Amino acid sequence: MILEGKNLTFAYEKRESRVFSDVSLQVDSRECVALSGPSGFGKTTLCKVLAGYLTPQTGEVLLDGKPLPKKGYCPVQMIWQHPERAVNPRLRMKDTLADGQQIDERIIRELGIERDWMNRYPQELSGGELQRFCIARALGKDTRFLIADEISTMLDMITQSQIWNFLLKEVKEREIGLIVVSHSGPLLEKVADRRIHF
Amino acid sequence: MRLNQRQKAKGLLVFAFIFLTAVAISGYFCHDAAMATDFSIKNMPPCLKYPFGTDWLGRNMFYRTLTGLSMSIIIGICAAGVSAVMALLLGISAATLGKKADSVITFLIDMVMGIPHILLLILISYACGKGLKGVIVGVALTHWTSLARLIRAEVLQLKESEYIQIAGKLGHSRLQIAYKHMLPHLLPQFLVGLVLLFPHAILHESSITFLGFGLSTEQPAIGVILSESMKYLIMGKWWLALFPGIMLVLTVVLFDVGGNSLRKIWDPNSVHE
Repeated sequence: MILEGKNLTFAYEKRESRVFSDVSLQVDSRECVALSGPSGFGKTTLCKVLAGYLTPQTGEVLLDGKPLPKKGYCPVQMIWQHPERAVNPRLRMKDTLADGQQIDERIIRELGIERDWMNRYPQELSGGELQRFCIARALGKDTRFLIADEISTMLDMITQSQIWNFLLKEVKEREIGLIVVSHSGPLLEKVADRRIHF
Repeated sequence: MRLNQRQKAKGLLVFAFIFLTAVAISGYFCHDAAMATDFSIKNMPPCLKYPFGTDWLGRNMFYRTLTGLSMSIIIGICAAGVSAVMALLLGISAATLGKKADSVITFLIDMVMGIPHILLLILISYACGKGLKGVIVGVALTHWTSLARLIRAEVLQLKESEYIQIAGKLGHSRLQIAYKHMLPHLLPQFLVGLVLLFPHAILHESSITFLGFGLSTEQPAIGVILSESMKYLIMGKWWLALFPGIMLVLTVVLFDVGGNSLRKIWDPNSVHE
Protein backbone atom coordinates (compact mmCIF):
# COMPACT_ATOMS: atom_id res chain seq x y z
CA MET A 1 0.00 0.00 0.00
CA ILE A 2 1.09 3.52 -0.69
CA LEU A 3 0.25 6.61 1.34
CA GLU A 4 0.57 9.68 -0.79
CA GLY A 5 0.36 13.39 0.00
CA LYS A 6 -0.13 15.48 -3.15
CA ASN A 7 0.64 19.22 -3.20
CA LEU A 8 -0.51 19.71 0.38
CA THR A 9 -1.01 23.29 1.55
CA PHE A 10 -2.28 24.11 4.98
CA ALA A 11 -3.19 27.23 6.99
CA TYR A 12 -5.06 27.24 10.30
CA GLU A 13 -7.04 30.39 9.36
CA LYS A 14 -7.93 31.34 5.80
CA ARG A 15 -6.21 34.71 5.91
CA GLU A 16 -3.30 33.72 8.07
CA SER A 17 0.03 32.66 6.69
CA ARG A 18 0.50 29.09 5.59
CA VAL A 19 2.08 26.50 7.82
CA PHE A 20 3.44 24.72 4.73
CA SER A 21 2.65 24.87 1.05
CA ASP A 22 2.90 22.47 -1.86
CA VAL A 23 4.33 19.54 0.07
CA SER A 24 4.30 16.17 -1.68
CA LEU A 25 5.47 12.87 -0.29
CA GLN A 26 5.02 9.17 -0.83
CA VAL A 27 5.43 6.38 1.70
CA ASP A 28 5.27 2.67 1.05
CA SER A 29 3.80 0.38 3.70
CA ARG A 30 7.03 -1.66 3.76
CA GLU A 31 9.30 1.21 4.66
CA CYS A 32 10.03 3.42 7.62
CA VAL A 33 10.40 7.10 6.83
CA ALA A 34 11.81 9.82 9.06
CA LEU A 35 10.42 13.33 8.99
CA SER A 36 12.80 15.86 10.41
CA GLY A 37 13.06 19.61 10.63
CA PRO A 38 13.39 22.46 13.13
CA SER A 39 10.70 23.30 15.67
CA GLY A 40 7.69 25.19 14.40
CA PHE A 41 8.00 24.11 10.78
CA GLY A 42 4.72 22.23 10.79
CA LYS A 43 5.79 18.63 11.23
CA THR A 44 2.97 17.86 13.63
CA THR A 45 0.50 19.70 11.40
CA LEU A 46 1.63 17.62 8.44
CA CYS A 47 1.14 14.48 10.52
CA LYS A 48 -2.37 15.56 11.40
CA VAL A 49 -3.15 16.21 7.74
CA LEU A 50 -1.77 12.80 6.72
CA ALA A 51 -3.78 11.03 9.44
CA GLY A 52 -6.96 12.83 8.39
CA TYR A 53 -7.40 15.02 11.50
CA LEU A 54 -7.10 18.19 9.43
CA THR A 55 -8.22 18.92 5.89
CA PRO A 56 -5.62 20.62 3.70
CA GLN A 57 -6.53 23.83 1.82
CA THR A 58 -5.24 22.37 -1.43
CA GLY A 59 -4.02 18.95 -2.41
CA GLU A 60 -5.14 15.60 -1.13
CA VAL A 61 -4.07 12.60 0.91
CA LEU A 62 -4.47 9.32 -0.96
CA LEU A 63 -4.21 5.75 0.21
CA ASP A 64 -3.64 3.53 -2.83
CA GLY A 65 -5.16 6.25 -5.00
CA LYS A 66 -8.29 6.65 -2.85
CA PRO A 67 -8.94 9.40 -0.31
CA LEU A 68 -8.93 8.47 3.40
CA PRO A 69 -12.31 7.28 4.71
CA LYS A 70 -14.26 10.00 6.55
CA LYS A 71 -16.13 7.55 8.77
CA GLY A 72 -15.11 4.32 10.40
CA TYR A 73 -11.66 3.09 11.34
CA CYS A 74 -8.91 5.13 9.71
CA PRO A 75 -6.12 2.93 8.30
CA VAL A 76 -3.64 5.75 8.98
CA GLN A 77 -3.24 6.01 12.74
CA MET A 78 -1.28 8.66 14.57
CA ILE A 79 0.40 8.37 17.96
CA TRP A 80 0.45 11.78 19.59
CA GLN A 81 3.27 13.58 21.28
CA HIS A 82 1.61 13.99 24.69
CA PRO A 83 0.15 10.71 25.95
CA GLU A 84 -1.42 12.40 28.97
CA ARG A 85 -3.59 14.48 26.63
CA ALA A 86 -4.41 11.56 24.36
CA VAL A 87 -6.29 9.55 26.99
CA ASN A 88 -9.53 10.46 28.69
CA PRO A 89 -8.76 11.37 32.33
CA ARG A 90 -12.12 10.05 33.50
CA LEU A 91 -11.84 6.56 31.98
CA ARG A 92 -9.93 3.62 33.38
CA MET A 93 -7.08 2.46 31.14
CA LYS A 94 -8.89 -0.74 30.11
CA ASP A 95 -11.74 1.39 28.69
CA THR A 96 -9.28 3.60 26.85
CA LEU A 97 -7.63 0.51 25.39
CA ALA A 98 -11.06 -0.84 24.42
CA ASP A 99 -11.39 2.17 22.08
CA GLY A 100 -8.87 0.49 19.79
CA GLN A 101 -9.78 -2.20 17.33
CA GLN A 102 -9.39 -5.72 18.79
CA ILE A 103 -5.99 -5.24 20.34
CA ASP A 104 -4.06 -8.51 20.59
CA GLU A 105 -3.11 -9.82 24.02
CA ARG A 106 0.36 -10.32 22.49
CA ILE A 107 0.79 -6.58 21.74
CA ILE A 108 -0.15 -5.67 25.29
CA ARG A 109 2.29 -8.20 26.68
CA GLU A 110 5.17 -7.22 24.42
CA LEU A 111 4.76 -3.53 25.20
CA GLY A 112 5.20 -4.40 28.87
CA ILE A 113 1.76 -3.24 29.97
CA GLU A 114 1.00 -4.82 33.33
CA ARG A 115 -2.40 -6.28 34.33
CA ASP A 116 -2.53 -4.04 37.34
CA TRP A 117 -2.40 -0.83 35.19
CA MET A 118 -5.66 -1.68 33.47
CA ASN A 119 -7.84 -0.64 36.39
CA ARG A 120 -6.04 2.62 37.02
CA TYR A 121 -6.89 6.14 35.92
CA PRO A 122 -4.43 8.01 33.67
CA GLN A 123 -3.22 10.29 36.46
CA GLU A 124 -2.01 7.24 38.33
CA LEU A 125 0.39 6.25 35.54
CA SER A 126 3.57 7.87 34.24
CA GLY A 127 4.01 9.34 30.76
CA GLY A 128 5.96 6.32 29.52
CA GLU A 129 3.34 3.91 30.80
CA LEU A 130 0.58 5.94 29.17
CA GLN A 131 2.46 6.09 25.87
CA ARG A 132 2.53 2.27 25.75
CA PHE A 133 -1.25 2.27 25.97
CA CYS A 134 -1.46 4.86 23.17
CA ILE A 135 0.80 2.74 20.96
CA ALA A 136 -1.20 -0.41 21.66
CA ARG A 137 -4.44 1.42 20.92
CA ALA A 138 -3.19 2.55 17.51
CA LEU A 139 -2.22 -0.98 16.44
CA GLY A 140 -5.67 -2.27 15.51
CA LYS A 141 -5.96 -4.94 12.82
CA ASP A 142 -6.85 -2.47 10.04
CA THR A 143 -3.93 -0.13 10.69
CA ARG A 144 -1.83 0.19 7.52
CA PHE A 145 0.24 3.25 8.35
CA LEU A 146 1.47 4.50 11.68
CA ILE A 147 2.57 8.06 12.30
CA ALA A 148 4.74 8.43 15.38
CA ASP A 149 4.98 12.08 16.35
CA GLU A 150 7.79 12.44 18.91
CA ILE A 151 6.51 9.44 20.80
CA SER A 152 9.63 8.76 22.83
CA THR A 153 10.84 12.24 23.72
CA MET A 154 9.82 12.02 27.37
CA LEU A 155 11.06 8.50 27.98
CA ASP A 156 14.30 7.24 29.48
CA MET A 157 16.78 5.39 27.29
CA ILE A 158 15.82 1.87 28.35
CA THR A 159 12.11 2.42 27.81
CA GLN A 160 12.83 4.15 24.50
CA SER A 161 14.76 1.21 23.13
CA GLN A 162 12.19 -1.25 24.48
CA ILE A 163 9.36 0.54 22.73
CA TRP A 164 11.22 1.12 19.46
CA ASN A 165 12.41 -2.48 19.26
CA PHE A 166 8.86 -3.68 19.65
CA LEU A 167 7.46 -1.15 17.19
CA LEU A 168 10.02 -1.90 14.48
CA LYS A 169 9.45 -5.63 14.78
CA GLU A 170 5.68 -5.18 14.72
CA VAL A 171 5.52 -2.93 11.63
CA LYS A 172 7.88 -5.22 9.77
CA GLU A 173 5.80 -8.31 10.51
CA ARG A 174 2.51 -6.72 9.61
CA GLU A 175 3.79 -4.52 6.76
CA ILE A 176 2.66 -1.32 8.38
CA GLY A 177 4.24 1.82 6.98
CA LEU A 178 5.88 3.95 9.64
CA ILE A 179 6.43 7.70 9.59
CA VAL A 180 8.64 8.88 12.43
CA VAL A 181 8.97 12.46 13.58
CA SER A 182 11.76 13.22 16.00
CA HIS A 183 14.41 15.77 16.88
CA SER A 184 16.82 13.07 17.81
CA GLY A 185 19.26 12.45 14.94
CA PRO A 186 20.68 9.14 16.23
CA LEU A 187 17.20 7.72 16.75
CA LEU A 188 16.16 8.57 13.19
CA GLU A 189 19.36 7.09 11.85
CA LYS A 190 18.67 3.87 13.71
CA VAL A 191 15.03 3.38 12.78
CA ALA A 192 14.47 5.04 9.41
CA ASP A 193 15.14 3.70 5.92
CA ARG A 194 15.04 7.16 4.42
CA ARG A 195 14.70 10.72 5.54
CA ILE A 196 12.47 13.57 4.41
CA HIS A 197 13.82 16.91 5.45
CA PHE A 198 11.21 19.48 6.09
CA MET B 1 -9.49 8.08 64.21
CA ARG B 2 -8.57 10.45 61.45
CA LEU B 3 -10.77 10.65 58.39
CA ASN B 4 -9.43 11.66 55.01
CA GLN B 5 -11.08 14.29 52.79
CA ARG B 6 -13.07 11.75 50.86
CA GLN B 7 -14.54 9.98 53.86
CA LYS B 8 -15.39 13.37 55.37
CA ALA B 9 -17.10 14.44 52.15
CA LYS B 10 -19.09 11.21 52.00
CA GLY B 11 -20.18 11.62 55.63
CA LEU B 12 -21.27 15.22 55.06
CA LEU B 13 -23.16 14.26 51.92
CA VAL B 14 -25.07 11.50 53.71
CA PHE B 15 -25.84 13.80 56.66
CA ALA B 16 -27.08 16.60 54.38
CA PHE B 17 -29.19 14.18 52.39
CA ILE B 18 -30.80 12.60 55.48
CA PHE B 19 -31.49 15.94 57.14
CA LEU B 20 -33.07 17.48 54.04
CA THR B 21 -35.17 14.40 53.30
CA ALA B 22 -36.35 14.30 56.92
CA VAL B 23 -37.36 17.97 56.77
CA ALA B 24 -39.15 17.53 53.46
CA ILE B 25 -41.11 14.48 54.64
CA SER B 26 -41.94 15.71 58.14
CA GLY B 27 -43.16 19.00 56.67
CA TYR B 28 -45.65 17.08 54.60
CA PHE B 29 -47.12 15.38 57.70
CA CYS B 30 -47.15 18.59 59.76
CA HIS B 31 -49.15 20.49 57.20
CA ASP B 32 -52.50 20.27 59.01
CA ALA B 33 -50.99 20.82 62.45
CA ALA B 34 -49.27 23.94 61.12
CA MET B 35 -52.61 25.49 60.17
CA ALA B 36 -54.35 24.75 63.52
CA THR B 37 -54.95 27.83 65.67
CA ASP B 38 -55.44 27.85 69.45
CA PHE B 39 -55.87 31.25 71.08
CA SER B 40 -55.33 29.84 74.57
CA ILE B 41 -51.61 29.42 73.83
CA LYS B 42 -50.92 32.51 71.70
CA ASN B 43 -47.56 34.30 71.87
CA MET B 44 -45.80 31.62 73.88
CA PRO B 45 -42.01 31.95 74.03
CA PRO B 46 -40.01 28.81 73.22
CA CYS B 47 -40.49 26.01 75.75
CA LEU B 48 -40.20 22.24 75.77
CA LYS B 49 -43.65 21.65 74.35
CA TYR B 50 -43.33 24.35 71.69
CA PRO B 51 -39.61 24.45 70.88
CA PHE B 52 -39.98 27.37 68.44
CA GLY B 53 -42.79 29.08 70.42
CA THR B 54 -46.23 30.02 69.10
CA ASP B 55 -47.43 33.06 67.16
CA TRP B 56 -50.26 35.58 67.71
CA LEU B 57 -52.83 33.05 66.50
CA GLY B 58 -51.48 30.31 68.74
CA ARG B 59 -50.03 28.31 65.88
CA ASN B 60 -47.13 25.99 66.61
CA MET B 61 -44.09 27.67 65.03
CA PHE B 62 -42.09 24.44 64.94
CA TYR B 63 -44.65 22.80 62.68
CA ARG B 64 -44.99 25.95 60.62
CA THR B 65 -41.26 26.17 60.08
CA LEU B 66 -41.00 22.53 59.06
CA THR B 67 -43.90 22.83 56.63
CA GLY B 68 -42.50 26.04 55.19
CA LEU B 69 -39.07 24.49 54.70
CA SER B 70 -40.46 21.35 53.14
CA MET B 71 -42.45 23.51 50.72
CA SER B 72 -39.30 25.48 49.95
CA ILE B 73 -37.34 22.29 49.32
CA ILE B 74 -40.00 20.92 46.99
CA ILE B 75 -40.20 24.21 45.08
CA GLY B 76 -36.41 24.24 44.99
CA ILE B 77 -36.26 20.73 43.54
CA CYS B 78 -38.87 21.51 40.85
CA ALA B 79 -37.37 24.84 39.86
CA ALA B 80 -33.77 23.71 40.01
CA GLY B 81 -34.61 20.54 38.07
CA VAL B 82 -36.33 22.42 35.25
CA SER B 83 -33.60 25.03 35.25
CA ALA B 84 -30.83 22.45 35.09
CA VAL B 85 -32.47 20.54 32.23
CA MET B 86 -32.85 23.82 30.32
CA ALA B 87 -29.21 24.58 30.98
CA LEU B 88 -28.15 21.14 29.74
CA LEU B 89 -30.16 21.35 26.51
CA LEU B 90 -29.18 24.94 25.71
CA GLY B 91 -25.56 24.38 26.66
CA ILE B 92 -25.20 21.31 24.48
CA SER B 93 -27.02 22.84 21.52
CA ALA B 94 -24.91 25.99 21.75
CA ALA B 95 -21.78 23.89 21.55
CA THR B 96 -22.87 21.52 18.79
CA LEU B 97 -25.30 23.30 16.47
CA GLY B 98 -22.83 25.66 14.87
CA LYS B 99 -21.86 29.30 15.14
CA LYS B 100 -25.26 30.96 14.66
CA ALA B 101 -27.07 28.90 17.30
CA ASP B 102 -24.13 29.51 19.59
CA SER B 103 -24.27 33.28 19.26
CA VAL B 104 -28.05 33.35 19.79
CA ILE B 105 -27.81 31.25 22.96
CA THR B 106 -24.79 33.12 24.26
CA PHE B 107 -26.66 36.38 23.73
CA LEU B 108 -29.65 34.98 25.62
CA ILE B 109 -27.41 33.90 28.50
CA ASP B 110 -25.75 37.31 28.68
CA MET B 111 -29.11 39.07 28.55
CA VAL B 112 -30.69 37.05 31.35
CA MET B 113 -27.51 37.35 33.41
CA GLY B 114 -27.42 41.10 32.83
CA ILE B 115 -30.81 41.70 34.46
CA PRO B 116 -30.79 41.47 38.27
CA HIS B 117 -32.17 38.09 39.29
CA ILE B 118 -34.69 39.31 41.81
CA LEU B 119 -36.16 41.88 39.40
CA LEU B 120 -36.70 39.32 36.65
CA LEU B 121 -38.08 36.84 39.18
CA ILE B 122 -40.66 39.35 40.46
CA LEU B 123 -41.70 40.25 36.91
CA ILE B 124 -42.12 36.63 35.78
CA SER B 125 -43.82 35.53 39.00
CA TYR B 126 -46.22 38.50 38.77
CA ALA B 127 -46.94 37.81 35.09
CA CYS B 128 -47.75 34.16 35.89
CA GLY B 129 -50.24 35.20 38.54
CA LYS B 130 -48.00 34.75 41.60
CA GLY B 131 -48.62 31.68 43.75
CA LEU B 132 -46.84 28.35 43.47
CA LYS B 133 -46.82 28.38 39.66
CA GLY B 134 -45.41 31.89 39.46
CA VAL B 135 -42.57 31.11 41.84
CA ILE B 136 -41.57 27.86 40.14
CA VAL B 137 -41.70 29.33 36.62
CA GLY B 138 -39.84 32.42 37.79
CA VAL B 139 -37.01 30.54 39.49
CA ALA B 140 -36.75 28.03 36.62
CA LEU B 141 -36.49 30.74 33.97
CA THR B 142 -33.84 32.78 35.73
CA HIS B 143 -31.39 30.24 37.15
CA TRP B 144 -30.27 28.23 34.13
CA THR B 145 -27.74 30.73 32.78
CA SER B 146 -24.55 30.00 34.67
CA LEU B 147 -24.92 26.24 34.38
CA ALA B 148 -25.69 26.55 30.64
CA ARG B 149 -22.53 28.59 30.19
CA LEU B 150 -20.51 26.00 32.11
CA ILE B 151 -21.84 23.10 30.05
CA ARG B 152 -21.36 24.92 26.76
CA ALA B 153 -17.73 25.65 27.61
CA GLU B 154 -17.16 22.07 28.72
CA VAL B 155 -18.59 20.58 25.52
CA LEU B 156 -16.60 23.02 23.36
CA GLN B 157 -13.41 22.10 25.15
CA LEU B 158 -14.14 18.38 25.01
CA LYS B 159 -14.83 18.52 21.27
CA GLU B 160 -11.33 19.87 20.68
CA SER B 161 -9.57 17.50 23.05
CA GLU B 162 -7.14 15.03 21.57
CA TYR B 163 -8.66 11.87 23.01
CA ILE B 164 -12.02 12.63 21.44
CA GLN B 165 -10.47 13.30 18.03
CA ILE B 166 -8.52 10.06 18.36
CA ALA B 167 -11.67 8.13 19.29
CA GLY B 168 -13.26 9.47 16.09
CA LYS B 169 -10.37 8.20 13.99
CA LEU B 170 -10.58 4.85 15.75
CA GLY B 171 -13.93 4.44 14.07
CA HIS B 172 -16.41 5.38 16.80
CA SER B 173 -19.59 7.25 15.92
CA ARG B 174 -20.47 10.64 17.40
CA LEU B 175 -23.13 9.11 19.63
CA GLN B 176 -20.76 6.47 20.98
CA ILE B 177 -18.15 9.15 21.70
CA ALA B 178 -20.71 11.40 23.38
CA TYR B 179 -21.78 8.52 25.60
CA LYS B 180 -18.41 7.05 26.41
CA HIS B 181 -16.14 10.08 26.48
CA MET B 182 -18.28 13.17 27.08
CA LEU B 183 -20.87 11.92 29.57
CA PRO B 184 -18.36 11.08 32.32
CA HIS B 185 -17.21 14.72 32.14
CA LEU B 186 -20.63 16.34 31.87
CA LEU B 187 -22.61 14.29 34.39
CA PRO B 188 -20.71 15.38 37.52
CA GLN B 189 -20.76 19.01 36.34
CA PHE B 190 -24.47 18.75 35.71
CA LEU B 191 -25.42 17.05 38.98
CA VAL B 192 -23.23 19.29 41.11
CA GLY B 193 -24.65 22.30 39.29
CA LEU B 194 -28.14 20.98 39.94
CA VAL B 195 -27.53 20.54 43.66
CA LEU B 196 -25.89 23.95 43.95
CA LEU B 197 -28.95 25.49 42.27
CA PHE B 198 -31.22 24.42 45.16
CA PRO B 199 -29.97 26.96 47.72
CA HIS B 200 -30.42 29.77 45.17
CA ALA B 201 -33.89 28.59 44.30
CA ILE B 202 -34.91 28.31 47.97
CA LEU B 203 -33.49 31.71 48.92
CA HIS B 204 -35.13 33.40 45.95
CA GLU B 205 -38.42 31.66 46.63
CA SER B 206 -38.46 32.92 50.20
CA SER B 207 -37.30 36.39 49.28
CA ILE B 208 -39.99 37.03 46.68
CA THR B 209 -42.58 35.53 49.01
CA PHE B 210 -41.25 37.84 51.71
CA LEU B 211 -41.69 40.78 49.34
CA GLY B 212 -45.25 39.70 48.60
CA PHE B 213 -44.85 38.54 44.98
CA GLY B 214 -44.70 34.83 45.69
CA LEU B 215 -46.83 32.36 47.61
CA SER B 216 -50.11 33.58 49.06
CA THR B 217 -50.26 34.59 52.72
CA GLU B 218 -52.32 31.71 54.08
CA GLN B 219 -49.59 29.23 53.12
CA PRO B 220 -47.07 28.41 55.85
CA ALA B 221 -44.10 29.32 53.64
CA ILE B 222 -40.81 30.51 55.13
CA GLY B 223 -41.04 33.84 53.33
CA VAL B 224 -44.57 34.41 54.66
CA ILE B 225 -43.52 33.47 58.20
CA LEU B 226 -40.60 35.87 58.09
CA SER B 227 -42.53 38.79 56.64
CA GLU B 228 -45.37 38.38 59.20
CA SER B 229 -42.98 38.10 62.08
CA MET B 230 -41.52 41.49 61.11
CA LYS B 231 -44.61 43.16 62.59
CA TYR B 232 -44.18 41.38 65.93
CA LEU B 233 -40.42 41.58 66.16
CA ILE B 234 -40.60 45.13 67.52
CA MET B 235 -42.88 43.91 70.33
CA GLY B 236 -40.17 41.57 71.59
CA LYS B 237 -41.42 38.37 69.97
CA TRP B 238 -37.93 37.47 68.73
CA TRP B 239 -38.58 33.74 68.38
CA LEU B 240 -40.98 34.28 65.49
CA ALA B 241 -38.14 35.33 63.19
CA LEU B 242 -35.06 33.78 64.76
CA PHE B 243 -35.82 30.05 64.55
CA PRO B 244 -37.36 30.00 61.06
CA GLY B 245 -34.44 32.17 59.90
CA ILE B 246 -31.84 29.82 61.40
CA MET B 247 -33.57 26.80 59.88
CA LEU B 248 -33.66 28.46 56.45
CA VAL B 249 -29.94 29.25 56.63
CA LEU B 250 -29.21 25.71 57.83
CA THR B 251 -31.12 24.19 54.92
CA VAL B 252 -29.34 26.37 52.39
CA VAL B 253 -25.93 25.66 53.91
CA LEU B 254 -26.60 21.92 53.93
CA PHE B 255 -27.50 21.93 50.24
CA ASP B 256 -24.30 23.81 49.56
CA VAL B 257 -22.26 21.37 51.67
CA GLY B 258 -23.93 18.45 49.89
CA GLY B 259 -23.12 19.88 46.45
CA ASN B 260 -19.50 20.58 47.30
CA SER B 261 -19.02 17.11 48.82
CA LEU B 262 -20.46 15.60 45.67
CA ARG B 263 -17.93 17.53 43.60
CA LYS B 264 -15.04 16.40 45.78
CA ILE B 265 -16.10 12.76 45.53
CA TRP B 266 -16.49 12.88 41.76
CA ASP B 267 -13.39 14.76 40.80
CA PRO B 268 -10.65 12.24 39.93
CA ASN B 269 -8.00 14.83 40.77
CA SER B 270 -9.04 14.79 44.41
CA VAL B 271 -8.95 11.02 44.72
CA HIS B 272 -5.84 10.99 46.88
CA GLU B 273 -6.55 14.01 49.06
